[in-house]
Amino acid sequence: MPKLTVAPQGISVDLREDETILEGLFRHGYAYRIGCRRGGCAICKVDLLEGTVAYNRPVAETVLSAEEQATGTCLTCRAVPETDITIALREENLRRVASLMALYAATRTG
Amino acid sequence: MAVMRMGYMHVRVTDLAEAKQHYANTVGLYQTLEQDGRVYYKGWDEWDHHSVVIEEGGVGYVKCGFKCETPEDVADIERKAVAMGYPVARMTAGENPEVGDGIRVTLPSTHEIEFYSSMTAWGLEVGTHNPDAFPRHMVGIGAPRLDHALLWVQDVAEIEKFFMDCTGMWATERVRTSLDDDAHTIATWLTIGESNHDIALLEAPENKIHHFAFEMRGWNDILHAADIFAMDDTPIDIGPTRHGITRGTTIYFFDPAGNRNETFSGGYRCFRDRPVVTWTPDQLGKAIFYHQRELNERFLTVAT
Repeated sequence: MPKLTVAPQGISVDLREDETILEGLFRHGYAYRIGCRRGGCAICKVDLLEGTVAYNRPVAETVLSAEEQATGTCLTCRAVPETDITIALREENLRRVASLMALYAATRTG
Repeated sequence: MAVMRMGYMHVRVTDLAEAKQHYANTVGLYQTLEQDGRVYYKGWDEWDHHSVVIEEGGVGYVKCGFKCETPEDVADIERKAVAMGYPVARMTAGENPEVGDGIRVTLPSTHEIEFYSSMTAWGLEVGTHNPDAFPRHMVGIGAPRLDHALLWVQDVAEIEKFFMDCTGMWATERVRTSLDDDAHTIATWLTIGESNHDIALLEAPENKIHHFAFEMRGWNDILHAADIFAMDDTPIDIGPTRHGITRGTTIYFFDPAGNRNETFSGGYRCFRDRPVVTWTPDQLGKAIFYHQRELNERFLTVAT
Protein backbone atom coordinates (compact mmCIF):
# COMPACT_ATOMS: atom_id res chain seq x y z
CA MET A 1 0.00 0.00 0.00
CA PRO A 2 1.32 3.45 -0.89
CA LYS A 3 2.50 5.78 1.85
CA LEU A 4 1.41 9.39 1.51
CA THR A 5 3.59 12.10 3.01
CA VAL A 6 2.52 15.73 3.28
CA ALA A 7 5.34 18.27 3.24
CA PRO A 8 6.58 20.33 4.91
CA GLN A 9 5.26 18.89 8.19
CA GLY A 10 6.16 15.38 7.14
CA ILE A 11 2.79 13.97 8.17
CA SER A 12 2.38 10.54 6.64
CA VAL A 13 -0.54 8.14 6.31
CA ASP A 14 -0.95 4.71 4.74
CA LEU A 15 -3.42 4.60 1.89
CA ARG A 16 -5.63 1.68 0.93
CA GLU A 17 -5.55 0.15 -2.49
CA ASP A 18 -7.35 2.37 -5.04
CA GLU A 19 -7.85 5.10 -2.42
CA THR A 20 -7.54 8.71 -3.57
CA ILE A 21 -5.29 11.15 -1.74
CA LEU A 22 -8.36 13.04 -0.52
CA GLU A 23 -10.11 9.92 0.77
CA GLY A 24 -6.98 8.75 2.57
CA LEU A 25 -6.35 12.05 4.34
CA PHE A 26 -9.97 12.51 5.41
CA ARG A 27 -10.09 8.87 6.62
CA HIS A 28 -7.20 9.70 8.91
CA GLY A 29 -9.03 12.73 10.36
CA TYR A 30 -7.27 15.41 8.33
CA ALA A 31 -8.91 18.17 6.34
CA TYR A 32 -7.93 20.82 3.84
CA ARG A 33 -9.79 23.00 1.39
CA ILE A 34 -11.78 20.82 -1.00
CA GLY A 35 -14.75 21.50 -3.25
CA CYS A 36 -16.89 19.14 -5.28
CA ARG A 37 -14.87 15.96 -4.51
CA ARG A 38 -15.71 14.82 -8.06
CA GLY A 39 -12.93 16.30 -10.18
CA GLY A 40 -14.85 19.29 -11.47
CA CYS A 41 -13.82 22.37 -9.52
CA ALA A 42 -10.01 22.14 -9.31
CA ILE A 43 -9.92 23.52 -5.76
CA CYS A 44 -8.12 20.51 -4.23
CA LYS A 45 -5.01 20.75 -6.40
CA VAL A 46 -1.65 20.24 -4.68
CA ASP A 47 2.00 19.99 -5.72
CA LEU A 48 3.20 16.45 -6.29
CA LEU A 49 6.81 16.48 -5.08
CA GLU A 50 7.72 12.78 -5.30
CA GLY A 51 6.12 9.67 -6.74
CA THR A 52 3.47 9.10 -9.38
CA VAL A 53 -0.33 9.02 -9.43
CA ALA A 54 -3.01 7.66 -11.75
CA TYR A 55 -6.49 9.13 -12.22
CA ASN A 56 -9.47 6.91 -11.45
CA ARG A 57 -11.81 8.88 -13.72
CA PRO A 58 -11.49 11.03 -16.83
CA VAL A 59 -10.41 14.54 -15.75
CA ALA A 60 -11.44 17.55 -17.82
CA GLU A 61 -8.57 19.40 -19.52
CA THR A 62 -10.11 22.65 -18.23
CA VAL A 63 -9.70 21.36 -14.68
CA LEU A 64 -6.23 19.81 -14.94
CA SER A 65 -4.27 20.41 -18.14
CA ALA A 66 -1.69 18.02 -19.56
CA GLU A 67 0.96 20.64 -18.89
CA GLU A 68 -0.06 20.89 -15.25
CA GLN A 69 0.08 17.11 -14.92
CA ALA A 70 3.53 17.07 -16.48
CA THR A 71 4.82 19.77 -14.15
CA GLY A 72 3.68 18.24 -10.87
CA THR A 73 0.14 19.47 -10.26
CA CYS A 74 -2.11 16.82 -8.79
CA LEU A 75 -5.91 16.81 -8.37
CA THR A 76 -6.29 15.05 -5.04
CA CYS A 77 -9.94 13.98 -5.24
CA ARG A 78 -9.24 11.82 -8.29
CA ALA A 79 -5.55 10.96 -7.91
CA VAL A 80 -4.67 7.46 -6.74
CA PRO A 81 -0.95 7.05 -5.87
CA GLU A 82 0.92 4.38 -7.83
CA THR A 83 3.97 4.65 -5.58
CA ASP A 84 4.79 6.21 -2.24
CA ILE A 85 4.23 9.91 -2.81
CA THR A 86 4.98 13.27 -1.23
CA ILE A 87 2.68 16.25 -1.75
CA ALA A 88 2.65 19.86 -0.57
CA LEU A 89 -0.57 21.84 -0.08
CA ARG A 90 -0.86 25.23 -1.69
CA GLU A 91 -1.28 28.32 0.52
CA GLU A 92 -2.67 26.36 3.45
CA ASN A 93 -1.82 23.77 6.07
CA LEU A 94 -3.24 20.33 6.62
CA ARG A 95 -5.63 20.48 9.58
CA ARG A 96 -6.31 17.59 11.96
CA VAL A 97 -10.04 17.88 12.60
CA ALA A 98 -10.86 14.40 13.93
CA SER A 99 -8.16 12.93 16.13
CA LEU A 100 -10.33 9.90 16.89
CA MET A 101 -10.32 8.90 13.23
CA ALA A 102 -6.55 9.18 13.13
CA LEU A 103 -6.35 6.88 16.14
CA TYR A 104 -8.45 4.16 14.57
CA ALA A 105 -7.56 4.60 10.89
CA ALA A 106 -4.71 2.13 11.17
CA THR A 107 -6.73 -0.51 13.01
CA ARG A 108 -9.29 -1.18 10.29
CA THR A 109 -8.13 -1.66 6.77
CA GLY A 110 -9.68 -3.11 3.64
CA MET B 1 -45.40 37.83 -20.28
CA ALA B 2 -42.62 37.06 -22.71
CA VAL B 3 -40.40 34.54 -20.97
CA MET B 4 -42.26 31.91 -18.94
CA ARG B 5 -39.45 29.95 -17.27
CA MET B 6 -36.00 28.44 -17.55
CA GLY B 7 -36.75 25.58 -19.90
CA TYR B 8 -33.50 23.67 -20.01
CA MET B 9 -29.95 23.55 -18.66
CA HIS B 10 -27.21 21.86 -20.68
CA VAL B 11 -23.95 20.91 -18.95
CA ARG B 12 -20.86 18.81 -19.66
CA VAL B 13 -19.97 15.74 -17.62
CA THR B 14 -16.71 13.80 -17.57
CA ASP B 15 -18.27 10.34 -17.39
CA LEU B 16 -21.64 9.86 -19.05
CA ALA B 17 -22.44 6.52 -17.36
CA GLU B 18 -21.90 7.95 -13.87
CA ALA B 19 -23.80 11.11 -14.72
CA LYS B 20 -26.74 9.06 -16.00
CA GLN B 21 -26.77 7.15 -12.73
CA HIS B 22 -26.90 10.47 -10.85
CA TYR B 23 -29.55 12.29 -12.87
CA ALA B 24 -31.81 9.25 -13.36
CA ASN B 25 -31.44 7.28 -10.14
CA THR B 26 -30.43 9.89 -7.56
CA VAL B 27 -32.16 13.02 -8.85
CA GLY B 28 -34.98 10.88 -10.25
CA LEU B 29 -35.37 12.51 -13.65
CA TYR B 30 -36.95 10.67 -16.57
CA GLN B 31 -34.70 10.01 -19.58
CA THR B 32 -36.48 11.02 -22.79
CA LEU B 33 -33.68 10.74 -25.37
CA GLU B 34 -30.07 9.65 -25.79
CA GLN B 35 -28.45 10.81 -29.00
CA ASP B 36 -24.97 11.91 -30.19
CA GLY B 37 -23.37 11.57 -26.76
CA ARG B 38 -26.08 13.62 -25.08
CA VAL B 39 -28.79 12.48 -22.71
CA TYR B 40 -32.04 14.39 -22.24
CA TYR B 41 -34.16 14.37 -19.08
CA LYS B 42 -37.35 15.80 -17.67
CA GLY B 43 -38.79 15.92 -14.15
CA TRP B 44 -42.11 14.24 -13.32
CA ASP B 45 -43.97 17.53 -13.03
CA GLU B 46 -42.73 18.86 -16.35
CA TRP B 47 -44.58 18.40 -19.63
CA ASP B 48 -42.02 19.46 -22.24
CA HIS B 49 -39.60 16.93 -23.74
CA HIS B 50 -36.60 17.86 -21.61
CA SER B 51 -35.26 20.24 -19.01
CA VAL B 52 -31.77 18.87 -18.42
CA VAL B 53 -29.20 17.89 -21.06
CA ILE B 54 -25.88 16.24 -20.20
CA GLU B 55 -23.06 15.85 -22.68
CA GLU B 56 -19.93 13.75 -22.25
CA GLY B 57 -16.57 15.50 -22.30
CA GLY B 58 -15.33 18.11 -19.85
CA VAL B 59 -17.36 19.75 -17.12
CA GLY B 60 -19.49 22.85 -16.71
CA TYR B 61 -21.87 25.11 -18.56
CA VAL B 62 -22.82 24.61 -22.20
CA LYS B 63 -25.97 26.73 -22.42
CA CYS B 64 -29.46 27.17 -21.05
CA GLY B 65 -32.78 27.92 -22.66
CA PHE B 66 -35.74 30.04 -21.63
CA LYS B 67 -39.18 29.19 -22.93
CA CYS B 68 -41.31 32.06 -24.20
CA GLU B 69 -45.07 31.99 -24.59
CA THR B 70 -45.21 32.78 -28.32
CA PRO B 71 -42.88 33.15 -31.35
CA GLU B 72 -43.67 36.88 -31.22
CA ASP B 73 -42.18 36.99 -27.74
CA VAL B 74 -38.95 35.44 -29.06
CA ALA B 75 -38.93 37.97 -31.92
CA ASP B 76 -39.41 40.78 -29.41
CA ILE B 77 -36.39 39.64 -27.38
CA GLU B 78 -34.40 39.34 -30.62
CA ARG B 79 -35.28 42.91 -31.64
CA LYS B 80 -34.30 44.30 -28.26
CA ALA B 81 -31.07 42.28 -28.03
CA VAL B 82 -29.98 43.26 -31.55
CA ALA B 83 -30.81 46.92 -30.90
CA MET B 84 -28.67 46.83 -27.78
CA GLY B 85 -25.77 45.24 -29.64
CA TYR B 86 -25.74 41.73 -28.22
CA PRO B 87 -24.59 38.99 -30.64
CA VAL B 88 -27.76 37.12 -31.61
CA ALA B 89 -28.02 34.03 -33.85
CA ARG B 90 -31.15 32.36 -35.16
CA MET B 91 -31.57 28.68 -34.34
CA THR B 92 -33.81 26.44 -36.37
CA ALA B 93 -36.17 23.73 -35.22
CA GLY B 94 -34.30 20.52 -34.59
CA GLU B 95 -30.94 22.16 -33.95
CA ASN B 96 -31.67 21.18 -30.39
CA PRO B 97 -33.63 17.91 -30.60
CA GLU B 98 -37.37 18.46 -30.04
CA VAL B 99 -36.92 22.25 -29.68
CA GLY B 100 -38.51 24.66 -32.16
CA ASP B 101 -37.16 27.80 -33.81
CA GLY B 102 -35.52 30.36 -31.57
CA ILE B 103 -32.57 32.61 -30.97
CA ARG B 104 -29.24 32.26 -29.23
CA VAL B 105 -27.75 35.26 -27.46
CA THR B 106 -24.10 35.30 -26.45
CA LEU B 107 -23.76 37.44 -23.36
CA PRO B 108 -20.68 39.56 -22.65
CA SER B 109 -19.90 36.89 -20.02
CA THR B 110 -19.65 34.35 -22.94
CA HIS B 111 -22.67 32.45 -21.60
CA GLU B 112 -24.97 31.34 -24.40
CA ILE B 113 -28.68 31.76 -23.64
CA GLU B 114 -31.38 30.42 -25.95
CA PHE B 115 -34.97 31.58 -26.27
CA TYR B 116 -37.64 29.43 -27.91
CA SER B 117 -41.39 29.04 -27.77
CA SER B 118 -42.07 25.40 -28.60
CA MET B 119 -40.78 22.02 -27.54
CA THR B 120 -42.23 18.59 -28.24
CA ALA B 121 -44.84 17.80 -25.60
CA TRP B 122 -44.12 14.75 -23.46
CA GLY B 123 -46.74 15.10 -20.77
CA LEU B 124 -46.85 15.17 -17.01
CA GLU B 125 -46.01 11.84 -15.37
CA VAL B 126 -49.27 12.07 -13.42
CA GLY B 127 -51.24 13.03 -16.53
CA THR B 128 -53.88 15.73 -16.71
CA HIS B 129 -57.07 13.67 -16.28
CA ASN B 130 -57.97 13.29 -12.62
CA PRO B 131 -54.27 13.19 -11.72
CA ASP B 132 -52.77 11.82 -8.54
CA ALA B 133 -50.59 14.03 -6.36
CA PHE B 134 -47.30 12.48 -7.42
CA PRO B 135 -46.06 9.43 -9.36
CA ARG B 136 -46.57 6.26 -7.33
CA HIS B 137 -43.03 4.99 -7.90
CA MET B 138 -40.71 7.96 -7.78
CA VAL B 139 -37.00 7.26 -8.05
CA GLY B 140 -34.31 8.84 -5.85
CA ILE B 141 -35.22 12.30 -4.65
CA GLY B 142 -37.97 12.55 -7.27
CA ALA B 143 -37.14 16.08 -8.41
CA PRO B 144 -40.31 17.51 -9.95
CA ARG B 145 -38.85 20.25 -12.12
CA LEU B 146 -35.92 22.45 -13.09
CA ASP B 147 -36.17 25.76 -11.26
CA HIS B 148 -33.28 28.18 -11.79
CA ALA B 149 -29.54 28.63 -12.19
CA LEU B 150 -26.87 30.85 -10.67
CA LEU B 151 -24.21 31.98 -13.10
CA TRP B 152 -20.77 33.31 -12.25
CA VAL B 153 -20.19 36.50 -14.24
CA GLN B 154 -17.47 39.11 -14.10
CA ASP B 155 -19.86 42.05 -14.37
CA VAL B 156 -23.20 41.49 -12.65
CA ALA B 157 -24.72 44.86 -13.58
CA GLU B 158 -23.95 44.30 -17.27
CA ILE B 159 -25.63 40.88 -17.40
CA GLU B 160 -28.51 41.97 -15.19
CA LYS B 161 -29.17 44.76 -17.69
CA PHE B 162 -29.57 42.22 -20.50
CA PHE B 163 -32.14 40.17 -18.62
CA MET B 164 -34.07 43.21 -17.39
CA ASP B 165 -34.05 45.21 -20.62
CA CYS B 166 -34.42 42.40 -23.18
CA THR B 167 -36.47 39.74 -21.39
CA GLY B 168 -38.57 41.72 -18.94
CA MET B 169 -37.15 40.08 -15.82
CA TRP B 170 -36.90 42.07 -12.61
CA ALA B 171 -34.78 41.82 -9.49
CA THR B 172 -36.25 40.47 -6.27
CA GLU B 173 -33.08 40.60 -4.16
CA ARG B 174 -29.55 41.93 -4.52
CA VAL B 175 -26.29 41.89 -2.62
CA ARG B 176 -24.72 45.34 -2.80
CA THR B 177 -21.57 46.83 -1.35
CA SER B 178 -23.66 49.23 0.75
CA LEU B 179 -27.17 50.64 1.08
CA ASP B 180 -26.11 53.78 -0.82
CA ASP B 181 -27.70 54.46 -4.20
CA ASP B 182 -24.35 54.27 -5.98
CA ALA B 183 -23.35 50.95 -4.38
CA HIS B 184 -21.84 48.22 -6.51
CA THR B 185 -24.02 45.15 -7.19
CA ILE B 186 -22.27 41.91 -6.20
CA ALA B 187 -25.14 39.55 -6.89
CA THR B 188 -28.71 39.69 -8.14
CA TRP B 189 -31.78 37.42 -8.20
CA LEU B 190 -33.98 37.89 -11.25
CA THR B 191 -37.50 36.60 -11.81
CA ILE B 192 -39.96 36.50 -14.66
CA GLY B 193 -42.97 35.16 -12.80
CA GLU B 194 -43.90 34.92 -9.16
CA SER B 195 -40.97 32.78 -8.00
CA ASN B 196 -37.96 34.36 -6.34
CA HIS B 197 -35.61 33.71 -9.19
CA ASP B 198 -35.41 32.19 -12.62
CA ILE B 199 -31.77 33.16 -12.91
CA ALA B 200 -29.28 34.65 -10.47
CA LEU B 201 -25.90 36.25 -11.11
CA LEU B 202 -22.87 36.37 -8.82
CA GLU B 203 -19.73 38.45 -9.36
CA ALA B 204 -16.74 36.16 -9.83
CA PRO B 205 -13.31 36.11 -11.47
CA GLU B 206 -14.48 33.74 -14.22
CA ASN B 207 -17.63 33.22 -16.27
CA LYS B 208 -18.96 29.82 -15.21
CA ILE B 209 -21.97 28.12 -13.67
CA HIS B 210 -22.27 28.03 -9.89
CA HIS B 211 -25.29 25.71 -9.77
CA PHE B 212 -28.61 24.80 -11.28
CA ALA B 213 -31.56 23.93 -9.09
CA PHE B 214 -34.59 21.68 -8.95
CA GLU B 215 -37.74 22.83 -7.20
CA MET B 216 -38.87 20.38 -4.52
CA ARG B 217 -42.31 20.10 -2.92
CA GLY B 218 -41.28 21.34 0.50
CA TRP B 219 -38.97 20.91 3.46
CA ASN B 220 -39.95 17.24 3.97
CA ASP B 221 -38.72 16.44 0.49
CA ILE B 222 -35.51 18.41 1.06
CA LEU B 223 -34.75 16.30 4.14
CA HIS B 224 -35.64 13.12 2.26
CA ALA B 225 -33.32 14.20 -0.55
CA ALA B 226 -30.45 14.56 1.92
CA ASP B 227 -31.09 10.99 3.08
CA ILE B 228 -30.93 9.76 -0.51
CA PHE B 229 -27.66 11.65 -1.04
CA ALA B 230 -26.20 9.86 1.98
CA MET B 231 -27.30 6.49 0.58
CA ASP B 232 -25.88 7.25 -2.86
CA ASP B 233 -22.64 8.85 -1.58
CA THR B 234 -23.53 12.08 -3.36
CA PRO B 235 -21.25 14.85 -2.06
CA ILE B 236 -23.25 17.51 -0.20
CA ASP B 237 -21.81 21.02 -0.27
CA ILE B 238 -24.15 22.30 2.45
CA GLY B 239 -27.59 21.63 3.88
CA PRO B 240 -30.33 20.89 4.46
CA THR B 241 -30.67 24.51 5.54
CA ARG B 242 -32.38 27.78 4.67
CA HIS B 243 -31.24 30.75 2.62
CA GLY B 244 -31.72 34.23 4.05
CA ILE B 245 -31.92 35.36 0.43
CA THR B 246 -35.29 34.16 -0.96
CA ARG B 247 -36.07 32.34 2.37
CA GLY B 248 -35.89 29.12 0.39
CA THR B 249 -34.85 25.79 1.89
CA THR B 250 -31.95 24.09 0.21
CA ILE B 251 -29.29 21.47 -0.23
CA TYR B 252 -26.32 22.07 -2.50
CA PHE B 253 -24.79 18.88 -3.86
CA PHE B 254 -22.52 17.81 -6.69
CA ASP B 255 -23.05 15.59 -9.70
CA PRO B 256 -20.34 12.99 -10.52
CA ALA B 257 -18.49 15.50 -12.71
CA GLY B 258 -18.46 18.17 -10.00
CA ASN B 259 -21.26 20.37 -11.35
CA ARG B 260 -23.16 21.84 -8.41
CA ASN B 261 -26.88 21.03 -8.22
CA GLU B 262 -29.42 22.36 -5.72
CA THR B 263 -32.72 21.21 -4.30
CA PHE B 264 -34.76 24.34 -3.59
CA SER B 265 -38.15 24.80 -1.99
CA GLY B 266 -40.10 27.69 -0.59
CA GLY B 267 -39.37 31.33 -1.01
CA TYR B 268 -42.19 33.81 -1.34
CA ARG B 269 -44.40 35.09 -4.16
CA CYS B 270 -42.99 38.02 -6.04
CA PHE B 271 -44.78 40.75 -7.92
CA ARG B 272 -43.34 43.58 -9.98
CA ASP B 273 -44.23 46.17 -7.37
CA ARG B 274 -42.63 44.24 -4.49
CA PRO B 275 -39.76 46.24 -2.97
CA VAL B 276 -36.34 44.82 -3.82
CA VAL B 277 -34.52 43.25 -0.87
CA THR B 278 -30.93 44.40 -0.36
CA TRP B 279 -28.25 42.49 1.55
CA THR B 280 -24.90 43.97 2.52
CA PRO B 281 -21.59 42.07 2.52
CA ASP B 282 -21.27 42.11 6.33
CA GLN B 283 -24.43 39.94 6.45
CA LEU B 284 -23.49 37.70 3.51
CA GLY B 285 -23.11 34.60 5.70
CA LYS B 286 -26.66 34.94 7.02
CA ALA B 287 -27.92 35.93 3.59
CA ILE B 288 -26.72 32.73 2.00
CA PHE B 289 -26.87 30.24 4.89
CA TYR B 290 -29.47 31.59 7.31
CA HIS B 291 -28.78 29.16 10.17
CA GLN B 292 -24.99 28.76 10.08
CA ARG B 293 -24.61 32.50 9.37
CA GLU B 294 -21.21 31.93 7.83
CA LEU B 295 -20.02 30.88 4.42
CA ASN B 296 -18.25 27.59 3.99
CA GLU B 297 -14.92 27.62 2.21
CA ARG B 298 -16.45 26.26 -0.99
CA PHE B 299 -19.47 28.42 -1.68
CA LEU B 300 -17.77 31.42 -3.22
CA THR B 301 -14.80 29.58 -4.73
CA VAL B 302 -16.19 26.46 -6.40
CA ALA B 303 -17.87 26.55 -9.79
CA THR B 304 -17.69 24.71 -13.09
